[in-house]
Amino acid sequence: MREFARQHPVWSGIAIVVALFVIWAIFAPWPEGFEAIFGRKRVFLNAVFSGITLGALYFLVASGFTLIFGLMHNVNLAHGSLYLLGGYLGYEFAEWTGYWLLSFVLVFIVVGCVGMAMQVLVFRRLEGQELRQTLVTIGISVVAADLMLWAWGGSSYQVMSPDWLRGPMELPLIAGYGRDGELVYLRYPKVRIAILFAAIVIGIGIWMALNRTRIGMIIRAGVDDRDILGAMGIPISRVFLGVFAFGAGLAGIAGVVGGTFQSIAPGEDTRFLMASLVVVIVGGMGSLQGAAIGAVLIGLAEQLGSVYMPTYAVVLTFLIMAAVLAFRPQGLMGRRG
Amino acid sequence: MTTETIKSPAAATSSAGHALELRGVSKLFGALAALSDIDLAIRPGERRAVLGSNGAGKTTLFNCITGDFLPSTGGIRLFGEDVTRFPAQERIRRGLRRTYQISLLFNGLTVRDNVYLACRGVSRGRFSFLRSRADDSLMQAAEDLVAAVHLSDLIDTPVSVLAYGQQRQLEIALALAGAPRLILFDEPAAGLSPTERKDLVEILTGLPAHIGYVIIEHDMDVALRVAERVTMMHNGRIFKEGLPEEIENDPEVQALYLGDGHE
Amino acid sequence: MSSNTPPNQTLANPQAPRWWLWLVDRVAAIPAHAWAVMLVLLVMPLVADDFFLFQIFGWTFILGIVALSLMFLAGYGGMVSLIQMSVAGLAGYMVALFGDSGTTISLGLPWWFVVPLAMVIATLFGSLVGLLAVRTEGIYTIMITLAMASAFYYFTRQNYTIFNGYTGFNLVLPPDLFGVNWREPVPFYYLTLVAAGLCFLLVTYVSRAPFGLALQGVRDNPRRMAALGFNVTAHRVAAYAFASALASVGGILLVWQNAQIAPGTAGIHATFDILIIAVIGGLSRPSGPFLGAFLFVLLSTFAPDVLRAIGASGERYKMLIGGIFLFVVFVSPDGLLGLWERWKAHLTRDDMARGKGETRP
Ligand SMILES: Nc1ncnc2c1ncn2[C@@H]1O[C@H](COP(=O)(O)OP(=O)(O)O)[C@@H](O)[C@H]1O
Ligand SMILES: [Mg+2]
Repeated sequence: MREFARQHPVWSGIAIVVALFVIWAIFAPWPEGFEAIFGRKRVFLNAVFSGITLGALYFLVASGFTLIFGLMHNVNLAHGSLYLLGGYLGYEFAEWTGYWLLSFVLVFIVVGCVGMAMQVLVFRRLEGQELRQTLVTIGISVVAADLMLWAWGGSSYQVMSPDWLRGPMELPLIAGYGRDGELVYLRYPKVRIAILFAAIVIGIGIWMALNRTRIGMIIRAGVDDRDILGAMGIPISRVFLGVFAFGAGLAGIAGVVGGTFQSIAPGEDTRFLMASLVVVIVGGMGSLQGAAIGAVLIGLAEQLGSVYMPTYAVVLTFLIMAAVLAFRPQGLMGRRG
Repeated sequence: MTTETIKSPAAATSSAGHALELRGVSKLFGALAALSDIDLAIRPGERRAVLGSNGAGKTTLFNCITGDFLPSTGGIRLFGEDVTRFPAQERIRRGLRRTYQISLLFNGLTVRDNVYLACRGVSRGRFSFLRSRADDSLMQAAEDLVAAVHLSDLIDTPVSVLAYGQQRQLEIALALAGAPRLILFDEPAAGLSPTERKDLVEILTGLPAHIGYVIIEHDMDVALRVAERVTMMHNGRIFKEGLPEEIENDPEVQALYLGDGHE
Repeated sequence: MSSNTPPNQTLANPQAPRWWLWLVDRVAAIPAHAWAVMLVLLVMPLVADDFFLFQIFGWTFILGIVALSLMFLAGYGGMVSLIQMSVAGLAGYMVALFGDSGTTISLGLPWWFVVPLAMVIATLFGSLVGLLAVRTEGIYTIMITLAMASAFYYFTRQNYTIFNGYTGFNLVLPPDLFGVNWREPVPFYYLTLVAAGLCFLLVTYVSRAPFGLALQGVRDNPRRMAALGFNVTAHRVAAYAFASALASVGGILLVWQNAQIAPGTAGIHATFDILIIAVIGGLSRPSGPFLGAFLFVLLSTFAPDVLRAIGASGERYKMLIGGIFLFVVFVSPDGLLGLWERWKAHLTRDDMARGKGETRP
């Protein structure tokens, strides 16, 4: 960062101005002329918040994807299927037990086991053959989509959030002026705040685990140089199994989250697979920070895009990805392999 | 100061006399300096041997010259032209060729196609959608090159089934394609049988006088037979340069290189 | 006329133009089984009914062309691109947009302008994606092209000014050239057969031309290719351009066959279908994609009935296709063609073993 600031004074200046402007736009009430051009502040703030929340969800899905990729060089294109499976199972568990939070634990365990089965039955057999591994995951995603369609049909499901998360809460953010000139504050669904909060906690948790524990150190060493693990006498296959299970479990949890604040239906698997792909391409493969930055960027692009340029919103995502590929093919936080 | 003298016109004409000129070339791999501050000048048509123990940086030197790696610092001039930032293919098109220590061949293609690609790479029509006819001049050139390395009987064999020695021969054929002016041979004799080694020496000594080469060779006998001058490398630095007999009799060289070379 | 011909030279000798000699050599080089396949395909309308001609064979040839473009990139260039179906879809969309359709946003330009224009636009799009994708290698290619393909899909769904959103275009018909209705089964069969045949021949020919050989060199060893004077990146992008031109042919025929196009035509499932077809058939030969397409079309047309007949749910044919795909990937890296060839090699080895064991009377 410091290097960048020293080498590119103009770009750093522009970045600071943009950042100040964004902070102002979020916190200050908008003057009349401004609202005339950009519409109501409430709309803008809602889009920003939805974007960040969506980014949190994307981060949950993509962090597992990027960890698995970084460590095993293994592109799991069935990752979206794990998300969808997590969503359906979360619905079933929540209905069955009546406890929303308990369903997260159950889903994490079950989907984690599915991930372990994939690692043992598929990836271990095709060790080192990246293309065939990827092709197999495509086959699995096709079969899994059909199996889930069979089991849960074509209708969409909504995981019920518990009572204490229903309804909106007021945020200390000014949305605009009320009829009598008093300040109106932004109201935002509690559930989404909870999701945002949970994603941040999980993200920090993973980051701490990777940077502060022995197993995390082993995993990071493995991401940098896989052969090192073997040389250190560490049972690689068990580390792989653990990371795969964890990444799959995270995708499953993300499914429950997505099922709570959006819904779960056939087709969501490809949607979240694509989101993970784009997030990881933009952020850099194998980088957790990259996944966080990419997720928020793509989430914001999607939400702001759909508010301000509805029929071209995807183009924004596409342009971000194209720009990253053109100027930094390894991704924003990625390292050249 | 030295960088300015390179840029001055007088220096430019003096360097125009060289086929290859390196000034202060270094290459870092992380903290490891595989090359430090290399100065090297090769005259057109000169035959040079580079000697040095394993890990001395010889292959890295070749990689920097051909553009497989960009050097961390320093400049490279090829036939008087500054090519430091040029991609590999631009240097090759200016008459530079190389072989690799570990054969890099096209395993899915036949011997003929391998050599044909080498001929095509330095001629026009690299993107041509029209097949070459059997009597096409490039096809002929490819067949001649295959004959020159004694692989005519195997010309339509896939490269993947060739024996090690034959792959080394083919590696040399690829470097001779087109109109080379300076060839870099990276340990071409390693792992060859005595007869194959003799063939190799014949090919090298039989090259037209205007073609210069730099050869990395562990076998002193081969190196001294095919080279006019010898450069000694150690730990990423050049520490001696001279005529073969000078190098052979140099006590420092004997201590450093011949000592562990003949362990 | 004959007085102009020198007496010692017949018309067939060096006097004949070079292209003619070339053609004769090429035709003579066609193996017997290829003649047989060609003959069978040419007389097919005599035996097959309309449904087979239009729905089975027409669709096979179209999917085969798109899968062929993937085979060209993957088999010769080592780049498994998932953008091919989007390129085909874009070509179809452009035909619908610039030509005639039942939608008001179509411009109604003449077909001889629209078809080349659609091909050019689709080729440019494919090359652009290639330009971004070739900056990375290997498995990244799949990820990047898949992300681009999905972006294209969501864009077609979202955008109404160019792609007409969810609805897409309907009533997109082929031109009434020579007074023939090209959507009639027999003309459509021959139209797609000729297009597929030409694409097949072109790919076969180019694979041995300098461009194709160089591409295979890039696949095997990009670093060495640069050290031989080739611009590796340019070759890869050019391969994307060529493959995109092929895919656009398939896309135009597809929109004519369906008479409509909508986002799902180039959706993510369609993208995967093309990959599945090419992998099942085999990625190392131009005939593979067509074999894979034939199998795929047969399965997706008849598997529901067969499944229902044996008491299973007809809906589950996707699982069947996915299962076959998984089987092929696990068993044979080179698709069904590779499997067939290994089996043939096995047989000849058995024959030889048996031949040796026999004592002749
Ligand atoms: N691509 C690379 N990445 C990291 N280190 C390298 C690379 N290539 C060479 N090195 C290191 O540079 C040093 C010199 O290597 P090299 O030039 O191959 O030596 P030589 O050819 O003289 O045996 C060695 O220590 C080697 O490990
Ligand atoms: Mg070496």
